[in-house]
Amino acid sequence: MEVKTRRVVAAALVFSLFLADAHPALAHGFGPTYDIPIPLWLYLYGAAAAVVIAFVPLALFSRKERDEDAAYRYPRFDLFRVRPLRTLLTSRLLTGGLRLLSVALFFVVVIAGLVGLQSGFNIAPTFVWVTWWVGLSFFTALVGNLWPLVNPWKVIFDSAEGLVRRLGLRDGLELGAPYPEALGIWPAVGLYLVFVWTENVFSGSYVPRNIALFALAYTLITLYCMAFFGKETWLRRGEVFSVFFGLLGRFAPTEVRVKDPDVCLGCVYCDGEAGRCVNCYECFARATAEERELNLRPPAVGLGLPERVPPGAAAFVIVVLAGVTFDGLLQTPLWLEIVRLTPVTQTLGVILLPLLFFCIYLGFVELSRILGGGGEVSFRRFASAYAFSLVPIAIAYQMAHYYTYLLIQGQMIFSLVSDPLGWGWNLFGTADFEPYYGIVGAGFVWYSQVGLIVAGHVIAVYLAHSISLRLQRDPARAFRSQLPMLVLMVLYTVTSLWILAQPIVK
Amino acid sequence: MARNLGVILVVVLVLGGLFFLLRPDTSATGPRHRTFDISIEDGEMRPDEISVKEGDRVTLHIRSDKPMEFHMHGYDVEREVGPGQKAELHFEADITGRFEIEDHESEAELGVLQVRPR
Repeated sequence: MEVKTRRVVAAALVFSLFLADAHPALAHGFGPTYDIPIPLWLYLYGAAAAVVIAFVPLALFSRKERDEDAAYRYPRFDLFRVRPLRTLLTSRLLTGGLRLLSVALFFVVVIAGLVGLQSGFNIAPTFVWVTWWVGLSFFTALVGNLWPLVNPWKVIFDSAEGLVRRLGLRDGLELGAPYPEALGIWPAVGLYLVFVWTENVFSGSYVPRNIALFALAYTLITLYCMAFFGKETWLRRGEVFSVFFGLLGRFAPTEVRVKDPDVCLGCVYCDGEAGRCVNCYECFARATAEERELNLRPPAVGLGLPERVPPGAAAFVIVVLAGVTFDGLLQTPLWLEIVRLTPVTQTLGVILLPLLFFCIYLGFVELSRILGGGGEVSFRRFASAYAFSLVPIAIAYQMAHYYTYLLIQGQMIFSLVSDPLGWGWNLFGTADFEPYYGIVGAGFVWYSQVGLIVAGHVIAVYLAHSISLRLQRDPARAFRSQLPMLVLMVLYTVTSLWILAQPIVK
Repeated sequence: MARNLGVILVVVLVLGGLFFLLRPDTSATGPRHRTFDISIEDGEMRPDEISVKEGDRVTLHIRSDKPMEFHMHGYDVEREVGPGQKAELHFEADITGRFEIEDHESEAELGVLQVRPR
């Protein structure tokens, strides 16, 4: 079985390399940058703020030990308790409509990619790279994770299964092959690396036809693996966007919860203990309306929950952290020099940067364990718990890096929906819409970028603090063991700021 | 509790003070009139970066060895330029940011305009 999955991942890799241009350009898949690098003084200020703030929780917060249940006891408010909201959010018209819209958009992108105009007006590149990839990432982190509802591959699979049942052909599409648990979410890690390569290195990532072909290839892989290993298993372990948006959803200020632990009996993902079924979309789908909660909660608390995580979870987080940084690093003069003077190529960078990040991370984890007295808590548990605390910095950097891009380039979608194929249509009368560039001034962009990154840093530092109190029952040990993590956070934050301060090269 | 408030107060004071200490004073310089001579040869623009400050009145004298369409994003202005015909472009730099300059005929990117905030 393991061999088979590897073969699928390998096939995806080979397929993507096959499409690659012989001359990897330095071009970025996303088009132009509108931001001016932040000035030196502001970079230094942000860096100083990161150092000062990192050590505040040590003086500020309680040093009382925390049991595991405490992590789940944060203030929350069930939106389903508000009747009009409940009616709206649970209406089949809304949920069914969103699912239908998602599948329709998927087909529009594929058709536009295959038969639409290849240079110039085409909805595929803008929708995929700007609206969906950047836009939905922001939405997931800031509002909540919609992906389990609108994932087009899940919807297609569900509909196909429904059709097969109705026709009486089979009981379902799942073949029920056992998934090797030791493989964990490593398939998603591999697919994420392929995705990062496509986004940042592949020079044809903006070509509509390539986007359609990638989407179709990924559809084949996903539907095949869903049938082979079971839909839920693959969505949890291999469907890279479910894993990615799931990670961002941990940061989100909303969550879905199942009140009745009976629902979770036999669920292998949530612990099945009372009050611990948070964002377990499988249980949520099974639960009745009375057993469901849709909660508002403080942001980022989902990153501090003591859940059991599958093998590869920490690696996935590190690969995401590195991927976000790689994206910005590619445009710096330093990277240009590295490519010029060393054998490192863009493609090699996709692999080397996460490896470097991973080694540095594990080094700091070991340091943290030694300072905390080591012993009782396993290295593996340390490594997987602390990884999540770094996510807020990555989210903040991603927002600082992309929000002007989303605001300006994202406006293109208004004209593209009227003429998705570039055939001169004007379906909604908006085809001539011109993007407005002056939405945010560069001065505001500078301050908001540094503000975002420092805010992400504050949240990360707080998370590291509460995770250390959970891992180390002894407060004095917790105090010592979080020091290396705080240093690592300062390093990562300052690196993010440094990239924003670099002159942009093309 | 009082100790926590004290810590927060000290942090806010340190960070606030640092901000005003580091921030450069730019109020002294007003908007200026800037002129740039730009030549495009073999698809290469020189200089390839035009850097001005918000509010500056900018004049570009553009020359090219081939017929082309000089297009500046953001300000969305266009000038036809060709051998022997010098083009002139005036604008007030009122939108801050980094904008691409391209040849609208070949869609080739020539350089950038950077308008820094005051």
